Amino acid sequence: MQKIVLVGKPNSGKSLLFNQLTGLRQKVANFPGVTVELKSGRFDEYELIDFPGTYSLQSISEDELIAINQLKKALESPDTCLIICNLDATKLERSLVFALQVQSLAQTHNKGCVFALNMMDEVARFGFEYDTAGLSKALGSPVFAISAKTLIGMSEFSQALKSYAGTPSLARVNSPNRDHDSAVKVAARLAKQFGMQQDLVLRKQNRVDHVLLNSVFGALAFAAIMFFLFQSIFTWASPLMDGVEFLIGALAQGVTSTIPAGVYEDFVNDALFGGVGAFLVFVPQIMVLTLIIGLLEDSGYLARAALICHKPLSLFGLSGRSFIPYLSGHACAIPAIMAARTIESPRKRLITMMTVPLMSCSARLPVYALLIAVFVPDVAYLGGWVNLQGAIFFILYFGGILTALIVSKMLDVYVGDSDKNDLPFILELPNYRLPHWRPLLYKTLNSGVYFIKRAAPIIFVVSVVVWVLGYFPANGDLQGSYLAMIGQLIEPIFAPLGVDWRYGVAILVSFLAREVFVGVLGTLYNIENADENLIGLASQIQADGFTLASGVALLAFYVIALQCVATVATLKGETGKNRYSWGVFVLYGLLAYAVSSILYAVLS
Amino acid sequence: MTIWDLKKRTKAEITNLTSTLPTNLSMRLAEMGFIEGQIVHCMKRTPFSGPLVIQLQDCVYSIEKDLAQQVHVSPIQ
Repeated sequence: MQKIVLVGKPNSGKSLLFNQLTGLRQKVANFPGVTVELKSGRFDEYELIDFPGTYSLQSISEDELIAINQLKKALESPDTCLIICNLDATKLERSLVFALQVQSLAQTHNKGCVFALNMMDEVARFGFEYDTAGLSKALGSPVFAISAKTLIGMSEFSQALKSYAGTPSLARVNSPNRDHDSAVKVAARLAKQFGMQQDLVLRKQNRVDHVLLNSVFGALAFAAIMFFLFQSIFTWASPLMDGVEFLIGALAQGVTSTIPAGVYEDFVNDALFGGVGAFLVFVPQIMVLTLIIGLLEDSGYLARAALICHKPLSLFGLSGRSFIPYLSGHACAIPAIMAARTIESPRKRLITMMTVPLMSCSARLPVYALLIAVFVPDVAYLGGWVNLQGAIFFILYFGGILTALIVSKMLDVYVGDSDKNDLPFILELPNYRLPHWRPLLYKTLNSGVYFIKRAAPIIFVVSVVVWVLGYFPANGDLQGSYLAMIGQLIEPIFAPLGVDWRYGVAILVSFLAREVFVGVLGTLYNIENADENLIGLASQIQADGFTLASGVALLAFYVIALQCVATVATLKGETGKNRYSWGVFVLYGLLAYAVSSILYAVLS
Repeated sequence: MTIWDLKKRTKAEITNLTSTLPTNLSMRLAEMGFIEGQIVHCMKRTPFSGPLVIQLQDCVYSIEKDLAQQVHVSPIQ
């Protein structure tokens, strides 16, 4: 298939253009160990490839070098028939610098090149009109004034793309070849001649920033937005989660009723629906989080949040951009580790990725909920405003963040000066914009699909193995199972936490995926559907004589330990090294064990 | 003086970048608009030596101390 390449600077409406041209039919290719992400999709009979937004053909990091080499390769390839340079019409000069460099390269390789002068809706709002024909003549390539958001000029543009892609010679570049310095100069000259007056464009943005970046009010707004975000993860997602739970329950009932009672029915019910189903419940939470973060990102606020957080986070060896992964980590570490790709410096990116698993992700939620129900009384203070159980939840979340910051600082010192050749922090503050629903919707759906694809196989295998070990050889009698034998063998290891073999097994198994803890414990306490009956299980554990010290020790253990094979796999994929992924796994396991043993010893 | 020394709501003209900067970094800065003769407008300073917010032609950038000190300017009245 012939290829069309789409390039442009960051925040220039490029992704929206890509989405409008390709629709839902897109896929993402990742390069392990680097931030490079190539999106491709079908446009008519062509493959449209969206390159990461960059300012230049000169790389300042290893990751950019890979992206730029890929771009150069694509420009050389005989399969590529056309190059689209996306320009931000409100910031002509900045977007032209990169576009001119690409245009020259296209000319060298004798490829067709067209310019999409995007964001015309905003230009129109300022009452400005572009001399598209004049700009086209000055550039020596066709220019189309469009808005990927309001679809101004989009049908003409896609028609033209088809004919240019069919006969690229029509879009052959007709201008002198330019080197780096002249690209910068020509961009400045053309922007002066054709572009908008800048003070006008930035006035509104600066007025909003005057408030949102204000030392007092900006901090309040920041706190309010974060509060809103957490509320949305825990409140809004819950009806959706209940819905998923209900669907799985109904499906399980429907399927098991068709199977005769016995080993097979037990297998389908406990291992398939019990194990895999319990984890599907978290998918809505991940999607809600992706949606809200997407909203913040597309509106332009995340860049401001990164700016506000840069100084405090840099005290711990992190960057302002670490804020976004840390935030996402409270839903799931997997998308959060991938969000670390936007961090400019490889060193800070590595530290961020290694500490993200300490954020209290949604898989820890059922574990926290169960243990808190067991040993924290449900009492309220200050006229019902402060609930003790809720306060403990908050302390657990805060404990995770605090541990992450301490570990970051230690990693920062440990990594030392060996890699100080670091990229400095410079961030463009984009215009505030109303987000468009389409890319947001795609992003939200994709996050759910991606999470399931990545984690489901592991959860499935764990569920099957635990079920087999717990079911045989006594055919359903747990006390006589292989699992019980293993449990008694490892009991001494977990004695310092003050828990018996059943918890030992649950902890051990939850090293693969921590949400399994509740399910395994439920099976072990012989309660069906332990996930749904948290209180039932909780009162059984209470009746069993569970001490406060053990409860605190277990909670601390779950705050720190990295019990998620999917996270380890993601870390391996993103860092490209086993040393980091399994190193972090062992490190947090030992740290969790040490902290919880000490807590138990002190409290009992 | 450098961008870092600018007070809020003041302007200055870029004279040069620190010559010892790696070539790729100075080229990138040039592409972002940090070129001799351009006017930098300091929009905001953040407490505890946090990043500066500056306007440079058609862009607003947030830039941290280490980098801001590499861009030399001369003040404008």
